Amino acid sequence: MRIGVFVCHCGSNIGGTVDVPGVAEVARAYPDVVFSSDTMYACSEPGQAAIVDAIKEHALDGVVVASCTPRMHEPTFRRTVERAGLNRYMFEMANIREHVSWIGKDREANSNKAAELVRMAVEKLRLNAPLYPKSFDVTKRVLVIGGGVAGIQAALDCADGGIEVVLVERESTIGGKMAKLDKTFPTVDCSSCILGPKMVDVSQHPNIRLYAHAEVEKISGYVGNFKVDVRRKATYVDWELCTGCGLCMEKCPSKKSPDAFNEHVGVTTSINIPFPQAIPKKAIIDPTSCRQFVKGKCGVCAKVCPTGAIRYDMEDQVVTEDVGAIITATGYDLFDYTKYAEYGGGRYPDVITSLQYERLLSASGPTGGHVKRPSDGKEPKTVVFIQCVGSRDRSVDRPYCSGFCCMYTAKQAVLTKDHIPDSRSYVFYMDIRANGKMYEEFTRRAMEEYGVQYVRGRVSMIVPQGDTYLVRGVDTLLGEQVEVPADLVVLAVGAESSHGAPQLAEKLRISYDNYGFFMESHCKLRPVETNTAGVYLAGACQGPKDIPSSVGQGSAAAAKVLGLFSRGRLESDPQISQVDVRRCVGCGKCITTCPYGAIEWMELRGEMKARVIETVCQGCGICTVTCPQGAIQLQHFTDNQILAEVNALCLS
Amino acid sequence: MPVLKGKELRVVGFLCNWCSYGGADTAGVGRFSQPTDLRIIRVPCSGRVDPMFVVKALLGGADGVLVSGCHPRDCHYSQGNFYARRRLETLKTFLPALGIDPDRFQYTWVSASEGQRWKNVVSSFVEKVHQLGHAPRIEEAAPYLPLAEKGDTPRAPLRPPLRPLSYPAAGTLAASLEQLREKIRAALPELDCVIGWQQGFDALHATPLFMRKPEDVDKLTWGPLNVHNLATYLPQFKNRKVGVVVKGCDSRSVIELLQEKLVEPDNVRVFGMACEGVVDMTRVQKTLDAGNADGAMCADTAPSSVGVEGDNLSIEGEAPARLRLADVVAEKCRTCDTPVPLLGDVVEGNASAPAGPAPDAPPSPPSLDALDSMTPEQRRGFWRAQMDRCLRCYACRNACPMCVCRDHCIAESRDPHWTTQEGNIREKLQFQVIHALHLAGRCTECGECQRACPVNIPVLALKQWMNRSVRTLFDYRAGVDVNAVPPLLAFAVEEKNIKEHGL
Repeated sequence: MRIGVFVCHCGSNIGGTVDVPGVAEVARAYPDVVFSSDTMYACSEPGQAAIVDAIKEHALDGVVVASCTPRMHEPTFRRTVERAGLNRYMFEMANIREHVSWIGKDREANSNKAAELVRMAVEKLRLNAPLYPKSFDVTKRVLVIGGGVAGIQAALDCADGGIEVVLVERESTIGGKMAKLDKTFPTVDCSSCILGPKMVDVSQHPNIRLYAHAEVEKISGYVGNFKVDVRRKATYVDWELCTGCGLCMEKCPSKKSPDAFNEHVGVTTSINIPFPQAIPKKAIIDPTSCRQFVKGKCGVCAKVCPTGAIRYDMEDQVVTEDVGAIITATGYDLFDYTKYAEYGGGRYPDVITSLQYERLLSASGPTGGHVKRPSDGKEPKTVVFIQCVGSRDRSVDRPYCSGFCCMYTAKQAVLTKDHIPDSRSYVFYMDIRANGKMYEEFTRRAMEEYGVQYVRGRVSMIVPQGDTYLVRGVDTLLGEQVEVPADLVVLAVGAESSHGAPQLAEKLRISYDNYGFFMESHCKLRPVETNTAGVYLAGACQGPKDIPSSVGQGSAAAAKVLGLFSRGRLESDPQISQVDVRRCVGCGKCITTCPYGAIEWMELRGEMKARVIETVCQGCGICTVTCPQGAIQLQHFTDNQILAEVNALCLS
Repeated sequence: MPVLKGKELRVVGFLCNWCSYGGADTAGVGRFSQPTDLRIIRVPCSGRVDPMFVVKALLGGADGVLVSGCHPRDCHYSQGNFYARRRLETLKTFLPALGIDPDRFQYTWVSASEGQRWKNVVSSFVEKVHQLGHAPRIEEAAPYLPLAEKGDTPRAPLRPPLRPLSYPAAGTLAASLEQLREKIRAALPELDCVIGWQQGFDALHATPLFMRKPEDVDKLTWGPLNVHNLATYLPQFKNRKVGVVVKGCDSRSVIELLQEKLVEPDNVRVFGMACEGVVDMTRVQKTLDAGNADGAMCADTAPSSVGVEGDNLSIEGEAPARLRLADVVAEKCRTCDTPVPLLGDVVEGNASAPAGPAPDAPPSPPSLDALDSMTPEQRRGFWRAQMDRCLRCYACRNACPMCVCRDHCIAESRDPHWTTQEGNIREKLQFQVIHALHLAGRCTECGECQRACPVNIPVLALKQWMNRSVRTLFDYRAGVDVNAVPPLLAFAVEEKNIKEHGL
């Protein structure tokens, strides 16, 4: 074999703490290495051209590049060697940046380690074999999980692109958090006026199949061919018949059901359509409060329903959908502010969350858009906003910034002035983070035009005083303690991952961070992809995001799916297991352990043997370890290839 | 390239591509400084990490091995790390049997987002390895043979057998045997052959008998000389109808073979009888040689007949001798709790009852006790000395009823090339470890490996150690239930007996 080694300086990223020419020199003595050189930026155009030239000039049949992580540039260099006529698997990478130069300053140790990593790569490459992908058909349908604004955008863009969309929403209506907002910053335009039409488009689009009040139960398969079980939870109303007339809501005698859509400000009826613009606009019964379920008799809604849609005996139903790609847009939840005992921990009725305040401001909310205190229904004249409740606070394990709270607080303060012209608003803040188009200008207007008092400092305690509250805090700019009497306190609660996000991540086989937000494939360059092929992210499930970013990601994810489906067939990764039928004794242990059912029995001259279904195998290698005689080998990670690396380290 | 003297030790890491390799990248991107000792091998999944890679590294001179995968429930391949957890924990409990400090091997979970955690894992593991220092090489250990005679199996003081070993009177035994022969004769027309025992080259040795005609059945013998586990022959008869005569212990091997579908239930007929124990031929020979038996006798003088009644073994011929069964019985019979075959057409005979109530856990066999009593250093010296004597004849493997790979054993293949043909201690021990690891959750402790060893290396002790690990970790005993799923081919999302290792 004729191997070429290219050791990259990566500017000073590697060259700074590794003797790059020295490593290239040492590598020249490794077995089968006929060419070795250092290069300033291996991934740059001249760097890649040098590799191509060397392959041709020195008749190389294998290449090692020692540079950054293969998770970054392995695909780049595989294409490079392919351009020079080599099979793309006749290439290995030694990670001497993330794993060497960036984590240690000892030049001697780093150089030695880099040389050893190159040695390991060379030894493995010597056993590499050309591999050839197979192609397979793609189911050109996409599953979108979550019907908030990001999911809606992704679904509409995919559907407009001509592919079928299955949209699954946990609640009985799509719209997500945005549907609960009154107005949006920085334009202060009506949230439901801009979201509403999109929701209607979803319901009317011929390419979109909407499952509301449903959850993803199980996902199997792989990119191009996922099988998804969707649990359609019982609504107790036949949605085929329900016209959304609302007669049942008018007549329902059980009027104390918790009103989740209105963030539990007020109550609603047990049979309910969450809000007038709901999509689908269908009624749903809450069996925890409905008299028919709780006491066993009532049946009023069944009597009044003009279409006879009520079904008290309805059960959950599981439907299976075949899709080729999945977009997750499961959004976020609000931080549980009751963890802050100093803000009353939920005991004070007039200390509310920002989203509850949003419902008080909304014309479709429980107060019809009149701001009233939950305790006595009076109009508040002094409103105090406290920012960073559950954001940037290590004491509650939320060290991250939720990003959009500064802006919606400014918006709410502005709206307060609009609703109650003789009111005063105070905002306690840590820093104002207004880094978006027209954002900084908007917070300026709140202060200068609307007279909102911004106090830089944290609030230490809220003390009830008669029917009002005393907000004690500090003004760090004045350097003194301040006390503000308040009729209403609004907590700008931060965002946290949607409940159930880790469980969904496990079903999707994608990673999530310590806080339950899903991991993107690369924080800068692959922001809507995940490490699981065919699964994409949109919106706040990946991290707190405002509406423009969520919409942008929804479109981006849709573009990725449309791109994926634009190819008629997909190429399968040839790094899959292969059975040596001469060695297989037919014990079936591999069949037992394969998580994908990718190995099946086959009869060969009267004997049972194992056989890998090439498009189903995902290349994990569990079977290779299971097989006692080593008859089933994961290509590109065979026993011998890994042993070569071990031996390069230990025996030499 | 050697490790940097005085600075580094040899630490090998196996990291899954999706989580831990990414975590190590994240740590690099965050410029979290780490010890330089670690060399990372990228694998797709922790489920791809064969415990034998770890052994290969440790025997090959690594001072520490670290495996890291995705957190449980978060595997990119959904189940790989669950399998890995069982395999690697089993390995961790096995390493001390070789005298390797289990702290030199660690496995853990780091996600792609946990750069800081990766730094902490590497730092604390490398620090621990540095505390342990250079790993002592087994081939450089001082030979340790605790036993008086070189070449003997390690013998802890003989424990009294769990059951009184007592063969029925000659007449009763003969009647039971005739009953067994009748059953075989009746079944023979439907079978290719029935495997049993017959007298061997002299009256003191039995040898396997392949009965094809009714008259062959007359040659069938029963008694303490029927040492062989005939289940070993069954996989060769795959796709043919065959019968096999078993003792209680042998029946467990048949169960195991049925469980692994290496023989088909429709094609196998099992015949058996209650067993009162078989002899350890080495002990018989030694006892006779030492002249300990009643009456002088030379072992070279072929005995004309051997009789057994109760606890007495009477050897007739030119040099008659009387031996007590309790003195020469095989090690496995002392702790046997399955004298009656667990399946098949069984002649009950007169199996003696256990001496007392059944113990909660099987008592530990003597050779395992001997290994337990050694220090790690002594164990290294012990295996060094034993492997020195190993001829690499593979008799242990060939006699093993569970070694079904036969011609495809990885000990002799180039692809995969797990062991070289070098006759050194490392390669020989590597093979013994392969045998033990491949038997994890499958070995019934029939002891054929050790019986077959021409130089009496106590290789069974490694399997006994492994079995104890499997029992402790998974509450599992091989060869009892045909329908059981062996522990290393299964997993539990929450493992009852596996604790997370803090790193």
